[in-house]
Amino acid sequence: MSAARRSRAELVLSAGVLALGIGVSVGTAFLPGEGGYARIGPNFMPGVVGGGLVVVGVWLLYEALTGGWRQRGEDSPKERGEHAFHAPAFLWVSAGLFAHMILIGTAGFVIAGAVLVACIARGFGSPRFGRDFAIGFTLALAAFLFFVKFLNVGLPGGWLAPLLGTAGI
Amino acid sequence: METLSALWAGFGVALQPANLLWGFIGVTLGTFVGVLPGVGPALTVAMLLPLTVKLEPTGALIMFAGIYYGAMFGGSTTTILLNAPGESASIATALEGNRMAKAGRAGPALATSAIGSFVAGTIATLLLTLLAPVVVEAALKFGPAEYFALMVFAFTTVSAVLGASTVRGLAALFVGLFLGLIGIDSQTGQTRFAFGVPELLDGIDVVVLAVGLFAVGETLYVAAYTSRMPETLEKLKGSLWMSGDDWRRSAPAWLRGTLFGFPFGSIPAGGAEIPTFLSYATEKKLSKHPEEFGTGAIEGVAGPEAANNAAATGTLVPLLSLGIPTSATAAILLSAFQNYGIQPGPLLFTTQGNLVWGLIASLYVGNLILLILNLPLIGIWVRVLAIPRPLLYGGILLFATLGAYSLHQSWVDLATLYVFGLLGFAMRRWDIPVAPAIIGLILGPLAETQFRRALAISEGDASVFLTQPISALLLTLAMAAVLGPWLWRRFRGAQAK
Repeated sequence: MSAARRSRAELVLSAGVLALGIGVSVGTAFLPGEGGYARIGPNFMPGVVGGGLVVVGVWLLYEALTGGWRQRGEDSPKERGEHAFHAPAFLWVSAGLFAHMILIGTAGFVIAGAVLVACIARGFGSPRFGRDFAIGFTLALAAFLFFVKFLNVGLPGGWLAPLLGTAGI
Repeated sequence: METLSALWAGFGVALQPANLLWGFIGVTLGTFVGVLPGVGPALTVAMLLPLTVKLEPTGALIMFAGIYYGAMFGGSTTTILLNAPGESASIATALEGNRMAKAGRAGPALATSAIGSFVAGTIATLLLTLLAPVVVEAALKFGPAEYFALMVFAFTTVSAVLGASTVRGLAALFVGLFLGLIGIDSQTGQTRFAFGVPELLDGIDVVVLAVGLFAVGETLYVAAYTSRMPETLEKLKGSLWMSGDDWRRSAPAWLRGTLFGFPFGSIPAGGAEIPTFLSYATEKKLSKHPEEFGTGAIEGVAGPEAANNAAATGTLVPLLSLGIPTSATAAILLSAFQNYGIQPGPLLFTTQGNLVWGLIASLYVGNLILLILNLPLIGIWVRVLAIPRPLLYGGILLFATLGAYSLHQSWVDLATLYVFGLLGFAMRRWDIPVAPAIIGLILGPLAETQFRRALAISEGDASVFLTQPISALLLTLAMAAVLGPWLWRRFRGAQAK
């Protein structure tokens, strides 16, 4: 990674901390200050945290603008023992998590889990989506039965609810 | 004497068949999950937390003690055989242990790590037994002002002192403190930063943050940056047993490692990183075979492993006697306590003595189970390591998401989990420490409560924090921890000119 891209990432992260600090400070202004007889209301701590984030954000920005963050580790993938950023891998893992988020409420825990496992395996370079789906399905089914029957933790049966009996919610 | 009888009663609790069984299950599960590459002790404890929802507190906490120790040992196995240190405290082990494995001496490396963990864990638990009541005695005199000052001190040590950069540690801490604000304020019932999302009213769960940062963040990171790298799993060949020479070289290293690890863990300056490196450097200096360091010296595994374990046990001193977590794992254990409505601290020793001493006694038992269980079962753990990575990470995330989802049966927690995953990815990539964020989340609300109590007692007079000697001292130390390194550099800079 080039020095320019590195410092851009540092600038973005520093600015993010600063923005969060400003956001928290603004949000604090809308909180009531009455807090009984200690005169410390629910807005005190948010004020401190907002202020702290602003100070830290400015400090990080200062470092990023004057030669980069201090005491940073190696940046080149080779020195870190890594390869360059592999976008498809990152996206497959993310896609799996999003699909899981959407499916869990409708298709149920087991199917959503199987899709999750298959997508992540794909992201890690596995070419056998069907096999990974089957393994994910088995694993998720085992987890489902263990949690629902044995631990009494409710998990959604979804489309498989008729097959799984009254176990799901 | 009083301690002894309390501990005796504790053993009565820990050795009940049911509790023994929970300890046994905990150690086995902890090792199994801890062996998985990329899964450190903190994540192991966080992922297994949902398993305990239906258990009664004593059994659950005993199981957790087992998980904690099992996870530590499992992590060392992975480090030695795969050269994939799951956490920074394992880097020293990776240096020598993996080289030993490459040279065909994986057996002795694993053995010295297992026996060293047992020795260190047992001595450290003994020190915990002796020290905790003393700390409790002192802490019973603490008021809210002292507690608040102590928490501020813990905040600064975990964020500013440890790690490469004070400012990045503080950034992580303040982000954690912000996350701790989300939800309903326990004192006034005021909703803060929940943006009308009902799932956020309860606040951010420590497990969601820890699992998001460690499991989701780690999976994204590994997928993006190392999933296409070749990996070599060292074979477990040759004898598992240590030779006479191995014993002679390991034993003093275990003891020295323990002496480094315990104090670092028990003063609120947690983290096992510094003591493991101190131990490594010391062993290198004292060794009769310094030339072996870098190519697989057994002392270099024995010492740091002992230091790591002793430090982990040491963090239980502030956790149990003061209610202050000083490592990510301790923060998650604290949240496990809170799930049962138990607030660790000096009062716990008097109100729930059986539970605390049962837990401490089960640390002794857990250590022993671990020693008996692990070396014979090492073949199984090695097979766990051979699971192909695509399926391994899929499985890790399946269970990681399960824990988050079971909180409210809502996709919102899964979305939160993904956001924390992105945060964890960025923190890992740009060298921002994770532990301060987790500690900030759980300790922030407690610090706020103590702060308000202190001011309520002093009727709004803020000088109370500086007129109480203990509080003033701790706040001064906290200040020094943040500004000290900076002042020191300026001083050195001025001298150089």
